[in-house]
Amino acid sequence: MKCWDPRIEEMPKAELQQMQYRLLKSLVYRLYSFSPFYHDRMKEQNVHPDDIHTLSDIKKLPFMFKRDLRDNYPDKIFTATQDDLVRYHVSSGTTGKPTVVGYTQNDLDTWTTSLARALTSIGLGRGDVIQVSYGYGLFTGGLGLHYGAERIGATVLPTSVGNTERQIELMQDLGATAIACTPSYLLHIGEVAEKIGVDIHKDTKLRTGILGAEPWTERMRIRMEEWLGIRAYDIYGTSELSGPMFTECTEQSGFHVWSDIALVEIIDPKTGEQLEPGEKGELTMTILQKEALPMIRFRIGDITQVNEEVCACGRTHPRVDRIQGRVDDMLIIRGINVFPSQVEYTLMTIPEVGQHFQIVVDRKGALDDMLVRVELNKESFSDKITDLMLIRQRVEHKLRNVLNVNANVELVEPGSLPRYEGKSKKVVDRRSL
Amino acid sequence: MFWDKRNETLKGEKLKALQTMRLKQTIRQSQKVGFYKKRLSGAHVHVEEIHTLEDITKIPFTKKQDLRDGYPFGFFAVPLNKVVRIHTTSGTTGKPTVVGYTRKDLNTWAELIARNMTMIGVTENDIFQNMVNYGMFTGGLGFHYGAEKIGMTVIPSATGNTKRQIEMIRDFGVTTIHCTPSYAMHLSEVAEEMHEPLDSLKTGIFGAEPWSETVRSSLEERLGVTAYDSYGLSELFGPGVAFECPERDGLHIWHDIYLVEIINPATGEQLSDGERGELVVTPLLKEAMPLLRYRTGDITMKMEDGCLCRRGQKIGRITGRSDDMLVIRGINVFPSQIEHVLLKIPDVGNQFMVYVDKVNHLDEMTVDVEINRDYFSGELADLARIQKKVVKELRDGLELRTTVKLVEPGSLPRFEGKAKRVIDRRGDAI
Repeated sequence: MKCWDPRIEEMPKAELQQMQYRLLKSLVYRLYSFSPFYHDRMKEQNVHPDDIHTLSDIKKLPFMFKRDLRDNYPDKIFTATQDDLVRYHVSSGTTGKPTVVGYTQNDLDTWTTSLARALTSIGLGRGDVIQVSYGYGLFTGGLGLHYGAERIGATVLPTSVGNTERQIELMQDLGATAIACTPSYLLHIGEVAEKIGVDIHKDTKLRTGILGAEPWTERMRIRMEEWLGIRAYDIYGTSELSGPMFTECTEQSGFHVWSDIALVEIIDPKTGEQLEPGEKGELTMTILQKEALPMIRFRIGDITQVNEEVCACGRTHPRVDRIQGRVDDMLIIRGINVFPSQVEYTLMTIPEVGQHFQIVVDRKGALDDMLVRVELNKESFSDKITDLMLIRQRVEHKLRNVLNVNANVELVEPGSLPRYEGKSKKVVDRRSL
Repeated sequence: MFWDKRNETLKGEKLKALQTMRLKQTIRQSQKVGFYKKRLSGAHVHVEEIHTLEDITKIPFTKKQDLRDGYPFGFFAVPLNKVVRIHTTSGTTGKPTVVGYTRKDLNTWAELIARNMTMIGVTENDIFQNMVNYGMFTGGLGFHYGAEKIGMTVIPSATGNTKRQIEMIRDFGVTTIHCTPSYAMHLSEVAEEMHEPLDSLKTGIFGAEPWSETVRSSLEERLGVTAYDSYGLSELFGPGVAFECPERDGLHIWHDIYLVEIINPATGEQLSDGERGELVVTPLLKEAMPLLRYRTGDITMKMEDGCLCRRGQKIGRITGRSDDMLVIRGINVFPSQIEHVLLKIPDVGNQFMVYVDKVNHLDEMTVDVEINRDYFSGELADLARIQKKVVKELRDGLELRTTVKLVEPGSLPRFEGKAKRVIDRRGDAI
């Protein structure tokens, strides 16, 4: 099958934009009438739904930021009642409180449809065996891909993360043709496979990688494709948008953002001005079909550019380039988003340590490794190694609970970490892609 | 409340007729599987000769070992492109047991769980936190799909991070939880330490490991829930096979979907109602992977008909195993798996002892294993390295974290005759 929904995917651009305009207009009316959050925001910005006459009038609407979700924890922005909510996902917020995303049945359906189109566009379908090696549970990667793969009629192998040798064994024995995971995890799988004498190219049926949740490069793509004998595709999404939503097509030139589902803008992060196609800026999305947690002009924080030209695959929907960086200090560790502010917040709840810390990120083999160096308080400084070990274990445990990712902790003497005047540089990222 | 009143309360001749028809269908479906084609013709059984439910005794049993021999797809009755899901569960040795599902199978499974949850009064207005593993383990996705079918709000929290689990129960007003009984006990303790009353909770669904009435009253008191026992196994879809109704006197095993026998595990003979023996199940609606007279290894009994809730066939709560399988934190472990893992590690011998304990209400498994002198340099660092390796191999092989103790060669007991390598010290005290 070439297209999951050819009518929409190959619709002439002008018609698509008309459709977007209609969807935007009704979204704005709905939120102005029923969402106190958006109503107030529009009032503050002095904009009324009647002011939206064309698609480009979206510029008049206020932005939304990740901090808005935190400030309205857990569900104050939701526009669906409890009866209509069928799912919650939770991701780490910028500080203490997590970000909560609610879904109605229609939201799950839109999300799944988006992925069904995407997976079809990379040639997957009935007859494929898709190994979903993203984490299942509150993280959207696992269940998202799971539902998408199920929708296109593929055989789903819900292996989730971890136990790499077992993953390779199942890939081989159950004939997985595609795998969804982070690019660094696939590299790790490749390395472990070599170690145990499995040649992914010759000994398995794997031919497609659906790779995302962290940035990667063309160089990594070429390396993985040659080494493992697969085609590697970029997948994009964040939990605020529902989860992983969009992938590249077989042309491998940017991920298609379905225009009937999302409206893409590239914004100058400093001025908030819209940028032209081909100009680099902050990816901003308005989700046109979302019931429980509507998103208007959500500033995602990822830096990239958009390409409006019709793709060689025939799809008319805009393509967004690989993510090239962040506007803020967010780190991605093994596919999980980590903000230095979360680390700071967590350390402040532990009396034995001070507020001075440094995050060192490295790659061990193919996998990310995060080390948090923390200064002990003068009072807690002790010669007894067991005391220090207990404190270190406690800090590691707390960080893991808040960040949902393992961090190694090194306790250092009071006053030994560098101090900064002006903007502090608390993160040392030694990874190279 | 009923999800599917007609089927749930089917009785007498109508029920028998439906069961017989479905049994025949299942036998026909099984003939698409090489193993069953051979097995039935070897036993001279023809579907035409199955007239009544009693005729089922003509069919040989299916054992877990048979599934292992069919690894990976030997038991699939449909082509792979009709299989939309694969789960695996622990096998008796190295290779896991593979279970396949068609779209119809997934729907049947979700229907079962919808029946179970509706039976205990859970509705679309409830908020459900599913605190069991997702992924290859059927507990997570099974309940997830069932709860979604009812239209509940599902929080797929999976396991771990107990403090955050408690915060979510509080912040989202969770009414219904699903987890292992021992994890529920742990959760209640942490909640007490955090001074969280967990007022919103009403219903607790506990399964994947055996638990007692003492544990039930303790959980109900501590968590403020009504606690229900849930039974299932991956080979029969997963959780949801049998479930307590509000009477909480036995578990309804869905009579239109599972045909139940209790046998003497030593002789294979059928036992009568009220007699304890091994549960043998023939699932009546499985498409991708039909099974005939599957020996579950679980010890229970058939109970008398006539439950006040008007639903049919009940079995008693599981009281043990007919084999040496252990359930550790909801995960099935066979001692033979441990042996299989140890055999692959040259640094250790193949003598071992397994100790199972409860620590803070959670199961802990300790494996004592002898060092192999040829591979041991005498350095402490070497010892640590070997220990780490054994822990990792066991974790990968059993999907379970264990504690490993390395001991001197020759110090573990040797057995003549039947080895007793497992010492289960958990007792009933959760």
